[in-house]
Amino acid sequence: MNYVDAVTPILDCTADQVAIRLRNITNKFGDFIIHKDLDLDVLRGETIGFVGGSGAGKSVLLRTIIGLNRPFAGKVDVLGIDVWGENEAEQEKLASKWGVMFQDGALFSSLTVLENVMVPLKEHTNLSPKLMGEIAALKVLMAGLPKEAGDKLPSELSGGMRKRAALARALALDPDILFLDEPTAGLDPITAGRFDDLINDLKQALGLTVFIITHDLDTLRDACDRVAALANQRVSAIGPLDYVREQATGWLEEYFSGPRGRAALG
Amino acid sequence: MNEAVKTNLVPMVAQEFAPQLRVRELEGQLEVGVKGDWTVHTIHLIENDLNGLLEVIKTKNIAPEDVSIHINHLNDLDSAGAYMLCEIIKAGQDDLVVNEETVFGEHPFARDFLKQMERFVEGGIEIPKPVDAVAKFKQHVVDGIDDFFRESVETLSFVGQTVSSLVLAFTNPKRVRWLPTISVAESAGLDAIPIVMMLTFFIGAVVAFMGAQTLEAFGGTVFTVDLVGISVLREFAVIITAIILAGRSDSAFTAQIGSMKMTQEIDAMSIIGLDPMEMLVIPRVLALLIMTPIMVFFAMIAGLVGGAFVSVLTLDISFTLYLNRLQEYVGDKHFWVGMSKAPVFAFIIAIIGCRQGLEVENDVISLGKHTTAAVVQAIFMVILVDAIFALIYNELEI
Repeated sequence: MNYVDAVTPILDCTADQVAIRLRNITNKFGDFIIHKDLDLDVLRGETIGFVGGSGAGKSVLLRTIIGLNRPFAGKVDVLGIDVWGENEAEQEKLASKWGVMFQDGALFSSLTVLENVMVPLKEHTNLSPKLMGEIAALKVLMAGLPKEAGDKLPSELSGGMRKRAALARALALDPDILFLDEPTAGLDPITAGRFDDLINDLKQALGLTVFIITHDLDTLRDACDRVAALANQRVSAIGPLDYVREQATGWLEEYFSGPRGRAALG
Repeated sequence: MNEAVKTNLVPMVAQEFAPQLRVRELEGQLEVGVKGDWTVHTIHLIENDLNGLLEVIKTKNIAPEDVSIHINHLNDLDSAGAYMLCEIIKAGQDDLVVNEETVFGEHPFARDFLKQMERFVEGGIEIPKPVDAVAKFKQHVVDGIDDFFRESVETLSFVGQTVSSLVLAFTNPKRVRWLPTISVAESAGLDAIPIVMMLTFFIGAVVAFMGAQTLEAFGGTVFTVDLVGISVLREFAVIITAIILAGRSDSAFTAQIGSMKMTQEIDAMSIIGLDPMEMLVIPRVLALLIMTPIMVFFAMIAGLVGGAFVSVLTLDISFTLYLNRLQEYVGDKHFWVGMSKAPVFAFIIAIIGCRQGLEVENDVISLGKHTTAAVVQAIFMVILVDAIFALIYNELEI
C-alpha cells in the first residue's frame, strides 16, 4: 500500500500488511477520558510519527500498545498477536519482536551499557557468552556509540549517549517493531539530526517498523513516512506529512504554522 | 521466521530451518555454503562449526580471496547472523568486502543486508576483557582505606559547617524553619516512642531475668533491682533509642535529601537563595536534639517497668521494695549519665543522615549505597562514642 493513499486511521489491507492494529481503544483515568474509540493501523515497514499536545495521551497510547497500560476497552493487535488477550504464550513471543526506547532511556543503572544490551540476549537466546558479548558490542556500534562506551555505566553517559545506549538495547534481538518515545527530546539540534539519520539507516538496514512519539518537526520531516496526530481523544489526522499539514485544523494547524513549524518545514 | 524459534521457553528449532554450514575445499578454494535461518535465536547451533571453520582458515593460511560464501539456500538473516557471515568473509584479513567475488548466489535481501552491516563490522568488534580478580581485590582494599579517611575528614568538616549554622540559628531563632522542624520531630521522634518503649521494656525484663538467676546463687536476688536500674538508666535506654533513630530516621533523612538531590531540588534551592543547610539540615538536627532526650526518658520508664514486671511477678520483690531500692541505691546519678549522652547521639545521628543524603549522586545505586552507609555509620559512631563516654565517666568515678 502506498503511503500517499494511507490517509485514514483504518486502512483497507490484509492482516499481514499491518504491524499494529488498534480498534475502539478507550482509556480513562477515573472520569477523565483520554482516548475514546481510537482506531489506528500502522503498516509493516513504515515509520510513523505521532504528534499531539502535552497531555493528549501519546505516552498512554504507547503504553497501551506495548502492554503496560490496560485499555478500558478496545483491542490491540501487534504483529497479529492480541496484546491484551488471553493467550499468554503468544504474548511472551512479543518480547523478542519489539524493542522499546523509553523517554529517559530506562537503562538498568547497575549494569554497564554492554551488559544492558546483553540482558534481552541472555533472556531470549542461547548464545555463548563470547558471541553474546560480540553481538552486544555490534549493537552498541550500530546505535552510533563509540566502542569505549560499552564499558561505562549509564550514569557516566551524556543524555544523547544514554538514548543511543537505550536504542542499542532495544535493537538487541533484531525486533520487527521499534517504539521510540521522544527520541530527540533534550538533544541539541545536531545530535537530534544525527539520531534521525541513525533511525533511517537502521530502518533501511534492518527493515524495521518504527513507531515514534515526537514533538520534533525535523524528525517528522526527515524520518517519518506518515504522521498521525492525536487530538480530541482519537487520531484526528493521519497521512504523509504534506497531507496532514494541508488538512490541519485547531491545535495541529498552530503546531505546523507556528514559527518553529515554519522554520522546520518551510 | 519460524515461530517455534522465538519462544524463550522451548528454543526448539525445526530441522528445515536450522542453520547449517557446508564447507567444500577445491584446489585451495574454500566454498562455504550457508543454509537455513541465521538469526540471533538460532546461530548458537552453529557457533562451534563456525569457530572450527575460522580456525581452519587461519591454520591453513587460506587467502581471503579464496574464501567464498554461497547464500542460495539461506532462509532468514538478521544482524547477528550477518555478523557471523561477515566474520567468515573477513577471516584472515582486516578489511571486509561484500561483493560478487566473495558472496555468491541469490537471496531476496541478504546481499543488501550484508552490505549494510559491512560498515559496523569493518573495524572489528571488541569486547572488554574481564578485570583480573586479584587486581580488582587490591583496588577494592585500597579504595576502601582511601574512602575511610576521606569520609572521616569530610564528616568532620560537615560537623563544623553544621555547628556554625547552628550557632547562627541560635543567635537568630527567626531564621530557623520551625514548621519542618516540628514535622521531623513528629515523624522521627514522637512516632518512634512506642517502638522504643516496647524494646526497652523487654530489655529491662530480660536483664531482670538473667540477673536474678545469677544473683540467686549468692542469695542476693534483691540486687536485681540495682542491676536493672543501672543498666537501663545508664546504657540500654539511650543506646536502644539511638539505634532505633539510626535505623528508622537516618535512612529516611538520607533517602529524602538524596532524592531531592537527584531531582535537582537542592540546586534549585541554592539558586533561589535558600541555604540547603538551613532548610534541610538544621531542622533535622534541631528536631532530634529536642526529641531524643524525651524519647530516652520514655525508654527509661519502660525499661524500669519491664524490670519491675519480672521482679514483682517472679522474684518476690514487691513493687514498693523495687521503688525504694531504686531511690536509695540507684539514685538519679545514673539517670543523668544516661541523659547526658542523648543530645550527643542525636547530633551524631542527624549529621550522618543529612551528610549522606547530600552526598547522593544522580543515580539509584548511589542512593542505596548512601542510605546503607548512613545507618551503618550512625550505629558504629553511637557505639564508639558510648565507649568513650564509659571511659570518661569511669575516670571521673561517676
